[in-house]
Amino acid sequence: MVRVTFKLTEVGRIELDLPTPLLFKEVLRHCIARTGYIPGGYIAVRKGKVVNLGDMVEKGDEIDIFPALSGG
Amino acid sequence: MFSLLRINTATGETRIEKYSSKDFLLGGRTLSSRLVSREVEATCDALGKKNKLFFCNGALAGTATSSANRLSIGGKSPLTGGIKESNAGGIVGSRMAEQGLRCIALEDAPTGDSAWKIVVVGKDGVQLLDGTFLAGKGVYEKSDLLTAQFGKDAGCITVGPAAEKLLMASGIACSDPHGVCSRYAGRGGLGAVMASKRVIAMVILADGKHKPAFTNKEQFKDESRRVVKLLKENPVSALFTKYGTAAMVDICQSLHVLPTRNFRHGVMEGAEKINAQTMYDTIKARGGEGKTQHACMLPCAIQCSNVYPDEGGKLLCSPIEYETMALMGSNLCLKNLDTIATMNRIANDAGVDTLDCGAAIGVAMEAGLADFGDDQAAIGMMEEIRNLTPLGRILGSGCKVAAKVLGIRHAPHVLGQAIPAYEPRGTKGMAMTYLSSPMGADHTFGFTLRDEAKPLTKEGKVGLSKKFQVIGSRMDAMGMCNFVRYAVRHDMTPLLNLIKSYYDVDITANEFDDFVKETLRIEHHFNTNAGITALDYRFAETFYDEAQPETGEKMDITDEESAQARQW
Repeated sequence: MVRVTFKLTEVGRIELDLPTPLLFKEVLRHCIARTGYIPGGYIAVRKGKVVNLGDMVEKGDEIDIFPALSGG
Repeated sequence: MFSLLRINTATGETRIEKYSSKDFLLGGRTLSSRLVSREVEATCDALGKKNKLFFCNGALAGTATSSANRLSIGGKSPLTGGIKESNAGGIVGSRMAEQGLRCIALEDAPTGDSAWKIVVVGKDGVQLLDGTFLAGKGVYEKSDLLTAQFGKDAGCITVGPAAEKLLMASGIACSDPHGVCSRYAGRGGLGAVMASKRVIAMVILADGKHKPAFTNKEQFKDESRRVVKLLKENPVSALFTKYGTAAMVDICQSLHVLPTRNFRHGVMEGAEKINAQTMYDTIKARGGEGKTQHACMLPCAIQCSNVYPDEGGKLLCSPIEYETMALMGSNLCLKNLDTIATMNRIANDAGVDTLDCGAAIGVAMEAGLADFGDDQAAIGMMEEIRNLTPLGRILGSGCKVAAKVLGIRHAPHVLGQAIPAYEPRGTKGMAMTYLSSPMGADHTFGFTLRDEAKPLTKEGKVGLSKKFQVIGSRMDAMGMCNFVRYAVRHDMTPLLNLIKSYYDVDITANEFDDFVKETLRIEHHFNTNAGITALDYRFAETFYDEAQPETGEKMDITDEESAQARQW
């Protein structure tokens, strides 16, 4: 199971039962297919570290996806 | 032709000059920094008569284009010793446009014991009125008095009691659309520069008759609508509307770069108590005058500002921005939005920058003057600033001065300006930007955080920072709100088309970026002439010696690398 939470959106948390390890871009593709939600700019974070599209996602990973905002 | 109104604050003489060059067309930071560079002696005393203060609106000011009425204020900074451009929303930029003005310059200075003046600009000319009745009062009271005398539609600019005492963290407050001087050009101590000229307020009357003379009005309308559409459809801009900049609390906490405990840590336990969702829910629950979205200028399709109410629903502070929530919140280990809002309100009333004062209080807490997490002590220190006590004057001079006086080595600043709300050891891109900004540590340009694939490594960050220094400076360059950049990040055509249909002047995207780069080059050149060297673009040594606990990272950017990021 991989858990992905789209922070500050209506989508919230989704759980994906996927064969792992899997590239994050594939995980993201599954998220979009499941929810129909296409994040614009985003920052994906797992245990305090940025997750990039080419990174591997493992079973049990929890990933937070934030909209890529900035301060002002 | 674009008009520059010069006001000699010593003699009272005024003069209008006309220009037609593209730097005057663009206005904003493009113009303010060029004027500072051309006309201010770089080695001068920032609080002396040789410094000048330039108020510039932008290319699309006074039109119906969304988010186009920022006011750029430029001069030599008493805080950094270098060039400064600080900008604010509000209505002053559009009032200037209605008077047919691109820039107002405050020049020279009377003696330090001269009477306070109010500069009044209207269709019938310029008046210098006695401003003694405003002296010593807080900005909110000053704002009310100015509104009573000049009307709520006048564009007012004023400074607080901190500026009157020439404190280096003092800012300049500008009228919001409701006539309240709450929109701050906060950084760099420009409030003290204005006060050094014995100008306590400047008022742009709402009697201006100047209308935009569009070359192609229909095309301009179409292009303006296109900008609004882009802003509405852009998912990032749309989220700003709901949560404002406060959304950064969760992002920075997650990335371990939320300034905590005087920039010792990047994570605060309980940060969710001050995050965007909590603020949104609190404002909604309290109702009354509270607003989760609010426009700092008109018109604006983003409306990222807010009105934070007290428990009774009365306005407590507007706005509360992420940088304040971090520097006056997590950086002090405070977990109460009401406390942060109260401190912010006091800062607005005293007329000081929330970042520099938040950082100074963090230093004071590390020095043992109060405990981290002590809400009442933090509010008390802000009261000391407003009341101009000896400690308050130290804190109101920014964190570098506070650290020197209080014996703290871990002073979070670059060039004397407090580090914004991204702990630099955990984001080397932002660190590179802090070290390469001509303004001192600055977050509004060179914002790399959202595009750093590996925030903890410095590799590639010279190029990344420079890329975003250009992207982030584009909006300042023409007086637009910085958040419009998300909608035109990959294509400036909509804004350049607006310029074409307004002025019948072609500016290509490359030419526009050349203006941006030239501005940065000019600004760095001014700093060099002011005596700022490569050795000044450093963090406190503790950032290089001590690892941030959550990331294990030390600062490792060299002088040579940061120098590369300042090359244009």
